[in-house]
Amino acid sequence: MSIFTPTTRARPGLRSIVIWTAVSIAGAVAWGIIALARGESISAIWLVVAALCSYAIAYRFYARFIARRVLKVDDRRATPAERLDNGIDYHVTDRRVLLGHHFAAIAGAGPLVGPVLAAQMGYLPGTIWIIVGVVFAGAVQDMVVMFLSMRRDGKSIGQMARDEIGRVGGVAALVAVFSIMIILLGVLALVVVNALAKSAWGTFSIAMTIPIALFMGFYLRVLRPGRVVETSVIGVGLLVFAIAAGGWVQDSSWAGAFTLKPETLVFCLVGYGFVASVLPVWMLLAPRDYLSTFMKIGTIALLAVGVLVTAPVLQNEAVTKFAFSGDGPVFAGTLFPFVFITITCGALSGFHALISSGTTPKMIQKESQVRLVGYGAMLMESFVAVMAIIAASLLDPGLYYAMNAPAGVVGATFQSAATAVTNMGFTVTPDTLQAASAAVGEPTLVSRTGGAPTLAVGISEIFSGFLGGAGLKAFWYHFAIMFEALFILTTVDAGTRVGRFMLQDMLGNIWKPIGRVSWLPGVWLTSAAVVGAWGYFLYTGVTNPLGGINQLFPLFAVANQLLAALALTVVTVILVRSGRLKWAWVTAIPLAWVAAVTMTASYQKIFSTDPKLGFFAQRQRFADALEQGKVLAPAKNLDQMQQVVTNSTVQLVLSVLFAVLIIIVIVDGARVCVQAVIRGRELPTTEVPFVESKILAPAGLFATADERRELIGAGGGRRDGD
Amino acid sequence: MSVRHLLARLWWYIREVAGENSYDHYVAHQRQHCRDGSPLTRREFEHLKTASPVRCC
Repeated sequence: MSIFTPTTRARPGLRSIVIWTAVSIAGAVAWGIIALARGESISAIWLVVAALCSYAIAYRFYARFIARRVLKVDDRRATPAERLDNGIDYHVTDRRVLLGHHFAAIAGAGPLVGPVLAAQMGYLPGTIWIIVGVVFAGAVQDMVVMFLSMRRDGKSIGQMARDEIGRVGGVAALVAVFSIMIILLGVLALVVVNALAKSAWGTFSIAMTIPIALFMGFYLRVLRPGRVVETSVIGVGLLVFAIAAGGWVQDSSWAGAFTLKPETLVFCLVGYGFVASVLPVWMLLAPRDYLSTFMKIGTIALLAVGVLVTAPVLQNEAVTKFAFSGDGPVFAGTLFPFVFITITCGALSGFHALISSGTTPKMIQKESQVRLVGYGAMLMESFVAVMAIIAASLLDPGLYYAMNAPAGVVGATFQSAATAVTNMGFTVTPDTLQAASAAVGEPTLVSRTGGAPTLAVGISEIFSGFLGGAGLKAFWYHFAIMFEALFILTTVDAGTRVGRFMLQDMLGNIWKPIGRVSWLPGVWLTSAAVVGAWGYFLYTGVTNPLGGINQLFPLFAVANQLLAALALTVVTVILVRSGRLKWAWVTAIPLAWVAAVTMTASYQKIFSTDPKLGFFAQRQRFADALEQGKVLAPAKNLDQMQQVVTNSTVQLVLSVLFAVLIIIVIVDGARVCVQAVIRGRELPTTEVPFVESKILAPAGLFATADERRELIGAGGGRRDGD
Repeated sequence: MSVRHLLARLWWYIREVAGENSYDHYVAHQRQHCRDGSPLTRREFEHLKTASPVRCC
């Protein structure tokens, strides 16, 4: 039997039955322990076991079912990488290498920050959604988008929306992607600002990454062209030195120069973002990207080892009271829909659709490998999110809320924070807060919102447990801050560039010269526009009396999930158009769920009468008070009142815009689906025609016995790895 | 599999993921297919390759 035509169903062997029964039992036991533990604390190990067993079963059974029955992957068909191979963007890439590339491209700050904030609802709802969401929605989206884009020579999701749904849907999709990108960049930059503000140690180490990256760029370009690994090893060495040096700077007379106010940091970041996006890629962006990728993969691997070795006990509750009351200090709203919104990329991310279409599909060797690269990489991303929720949940709840509530709620001193958190019903003393801050070498941890500092405290707790003890806590804290800030800034650089290309592309339709990528005034103008746009949200986030993360994170999270709704609509339409109505539920059910979640969240964000939750009510409340010349807490004066009114108005308008755009896309998509079903036959295909493949390669991570035999029979095929 | 073999595989993997061999692959590919004209120089190739990495949230 050929590996290319898996039509006959072989009976599963005894070994396979035993293994999968064992995995199922282990998973069921772990889930049982997590779900039934009430009032007693449980070990983080159970979360890890539940996650890994669920992933294994989903990958083995559900992903295989989708690949074979729904997508009908066909290894006799040549992929675009094989047919159009030009050695540059289209080229056949080893599946394991491509998995590494794709994972590095999709993994970012989202799965680290989102779960930390969602820990406000307890560890249980977040963990369930991270695992169930990835299995049935996130990984499915990534794999299906990747497959359909591959069948269309690597078209982007925007192009597919235009081709499959039509002009209206296509334009709405384009505008949605661009505006969502701007919010994303603003919020991510805000996370960095909140992590660095008033911290000389953090600011110094991050600032040092710029000369380090410039040096690496020069080294790679002039001294040792192409020696990426060597350059990155030198870079990481310098980086670790910069982190250690931050501690000395903090205690020296230089401390003042690196202790910056949030507003100053905003201007630094905006200026940096502009320069980085107009400089040649090799100079700053590419070396930073190498650096952040190495740091990211190294730290995540270390974290996984750390959780397994130290087996920390979770101090967070399974489900907190904020899950139902909806008045939590970190973000407003109840469990449904806001847990599913806040987790973002760890379970389902619309942004992945941008990477799964376009770049990766042009490099796939065999069609069946979309299961490993698309579904598999997303499972890894979800595992990162599980570790983030573990790190946040092993903190003492009192410390967690003191760190994550807006300054307007907990004040600025240890005393005020302890009082405010005690009033919420948790126990914490000013001394504990002071000790926790001193242990990580920071002046204060009070109201360090954004998730990054909280995660860094959790990571320093885990790492110091098996590497270096309490003495190295401060080092590990700043190591974690560096690791997060570094790749958020890489996302900001790269995102500004991508945003600029999108803007140039859009404006180029109206006025030709601005669309030219090499016309410098056009490049500067569009870069400045993109930087200015996210800089605006960053600035309002930093100065917002109601707390930037509290106000903006839900907006970003809703936007990200709306983008997923868009991608799922496009792929569902393609499934129906190509005569696969029977299987359309595979993407239609996640679509229905994410549409329900985001529409409920948007509705509440717009219309809720609770001023903490609804932007309209919030605007009304502050505008009325302002008219009578009154000042409402947490605003301190009339200027801040005016600020709140302006911010709420902008956020209200954006919420409406996002929701309307996505409704347009979904309705337009439904129209095409109905058309296809009424006609009762397939609409003209948009796939490229079949060409026979000449390559043999295994489908999964490891070659099966059958595949090996076949490779040898065919004269070795490609010998991987040699 | 010996430790040495495993280490060699790991080293191969790291170099591939980092893209250290991509120019060599490209040159080999151009030779094999006998395309018209000489292949791009390393600098030209890297200029095309580093079109800006896409990174997610």
